[in-house]
Amino acid sequence: MDAVEKANAERQRRWVKDKKVGEGTYAVVYQGREASTGRKVAIKKIKVGQFKDGLDMSAIREVKYLRELKHQNVIELLDVFSSKTNLNLVLEFLDSDLEMIIKDRSLVFLPADIKSWMAMTFRGLEFCHRNYILHRDLKPNNLLIASNGDLKIADFGLARDFADPGHKMTCQVITRWYRPPELLFGSRYYSSAVDIWSVGCIFAELMLRIPYLPGESDMDQLKTIFRALGTPTEEEWPGHTKLPDYVPVGQFPKTPLRDLFTAASADALNLLSKCLIYEPRKRIGAGEALTHPYFFALPYPTFPAKLPKCSTQLAARPLDEVDGNVEINSTGPGVKARNATLKRKLTSPDDIDGEGKRRSIARRLDFSRQTPGS
Amino acid sequence: MAQEGPIPPSEPKVPLYQASTQCRNWRYSVNQLARIRAALNEAAVAVIRSTFEADEQGSSHDVSFLNADEEVLLVKLYITKITQLCGLFRFPEEVEATAITYLKRFYLKNTVMDWHPKNVMLTALFLATKTTNNPISLESYTTHIPNTAPNDVLDLEFLVAQSLGFEFAVWHAHRALWGIWLDMQANSSMYDKALSYIRASRLTDAELIYTPSQIALAAFSLTLPDIAEQWISSKSPNESTDLRRCIEEIVVLIETQGQPPKIESVREVDRRLKICKNPEKVVGSKAYLAKKREEERIAEEKRNRKAAEMQVEESDPFGTELAEKRRGLVDYDDDDDDDD
Repeated sequence: MDAVEKANAERQRRWVKDKKVGEGTYAVVYQGREASTGRKVAIKKIKVGQFKDGLDMSAIREVKYLRELKHQNVIELLDVFSSKTNLNLVLEFLDSDLEMIIKDRSLVFLPADIKSWMAMTFRGLEFCHRNYILHRDLKPNNLLIASNGDLKIADFGLARDFADPGHKMTCQVITRWYRPPELLFGSRYYSSAVDIWSVGCIFAELMLRIPYLPGESDMDQLKTIFRALGTPTEEEWPGHTKLPDYVPVGQFPKTPLRDLFTAASADALNLLSKCLIYEPRKRIGAGEALTHPYFFALPYPTFPAKLPKCSTQLAARPLDEVDGNVEINSTGPGVKARNATLKRKLTSPDDIDGEGKRRSIARRLDFSRQTPGS
Repeated sequence: MAQEGPIPPSEPKVPLYQASTQCRNWRYSVNQLARIRAALNEAAVAVIRSTFEADEQGSSHDVSFLNADEEVLLVKLYITKITQLCGLFRFPEEVEATAITYLKRFYLKNTVMDWHPKNVMLTALFLATKTTNNPISLESYTTHIPNTAPNDVLDLEFLVAQSLGFEFAVWHAHRALWGIWLDMQANSSMYDKALSYIRASRLTDAELIYTPSQIALAAFSLTLPDIAEQWISSKSPNESTDLRRCIEEIVVLIETQGQPPKIESVREVDRRLKICKNPEKVVGSKAYLAKKREEERIAEEKRNRKAAEMQVEESDPFGTELAEKRRGLVDYDDDDDDDD
């Protein structure tokens, strides 16, 4: 056996797969442990054999970036090994994700809790951006939560390095509800601002407890955004009508964020509005966001260990499609199933008035139906 | 839930390059490189010699094995082939530089007597197109390269990825050069000349010893010595002696090693390699067949064991519970217990 094969076999022996906890088209996730210490880990097995072009791009991206990134708020890739035609990623084990927590109607979020999750998200993202890496798929179920409450950015299957200015990138990234308008208009030159928009949507979702901008198609997504934030003018977003896929989708007036987020503090709304600025160049950066007054005002962020936790532990968290390989044009499984309940919320957004009335909202939603991909 | 005060500030910032896998795992001293290559070479020769002997006693006496320097020479030739292929496909600079790095790193874990650089080069380049986000289909890749089948590339992909430790991100000197260039606002007609020194440095061990910015600065000082000197004094007046020494070393490296190898000398090495390469890796040879038989025997054993286990489960009078437990597993063909 070659030295390289031997090293691989040794790595393989370090880890034990215990049980399957999730499955997608291209990957299976196991709960496992480190043989010597018993430390719990997640092992993501990517089936490579079926790809005619060899190792697939999303696996390569995930491995490439996670190998380089080490930060408290980014999921840690502990090891990589291959078995036959499978690629195995050994990741730190995380119990739940932010989507599960948002959906768990037994949990009550305090403003300090939301601040804590936002701080951790921005810190992880600032680290990615500082390393010139765009995540390009931020959404609540890619923000995983460790048992000690730490939030970790996961799933780098769509990540890439910043391109040089003038270098084209694909606009078919980011799950639709979290996708910024410049990508919906087909911009091929963009930057870290795309991730910030997603974080803004997540911030709003933490306050509302339902997705903030749930469009049903790419076109409807634009309409949904403009309905919430007003149609952008040439003045506030110069040049946007010249973007490749620009289409006028109607004129909607600006309504103050305060109308929807009645319980939020002024600082919170100020930061939210800076994440959702139309002109990408004016949108706040992750580093700048971390020094925003919101994070220094009372109430201070909750200590991670004291954040609300999911009552239903990760028994079997079904894998999102995006985990293994990307079906770029879909918003992922589960979205359709959720739309049924969402429509109701959308037609009466006035009912949702911020954190204060969360409990009553939760009661009105039908959570009894199990949705795939949740 | 009590308020606990602001979240503590993040850990001290490590410079990006120092946190990279390149800096942590792929930088060596000149002596370390020599030792690693000598050790790999000796180990390979020992294994191949014993394989020859097992096949036919005394058969290894007349074989003249390659030494470590000859291996490096052969790899160097295939670095130049990467450049040719990248020209053919019009791949960006980054693909070329990354593939060359992969090829060099591969031969710090393997020897050419086990894996001939021709196929490793093709695989390294194909992998680099993907890791740098410039993917092309395997089919269009191989149809444009004479005498190459898709499997010539794919068969080695895992081995190459493993040898790289799945560390795909590479920091390149040509990027550093561009940064320095922008900073200096220097005469742009000289940029191409500086870049040609960077390209020459890829034929050397420079990237395994020095940082990208040191190599870039060396290329710069070869191009515009006076301006480079001014820049160094203004940027790092305190450590400039060390920096100057290290740039001097790189300049020497580029000037002495930065040329393509002489084709006659490589031809001689390649001719000898045909005789001394590891027979276990030569399709159809006795040693190869023996190894395959052994692998097949192990796989067969495993299949039998698995079948026996399945039978036990099926004949279990309490089979329903087991059946239910298995319902979630979709692909039975896929070996889930491949840890053993």
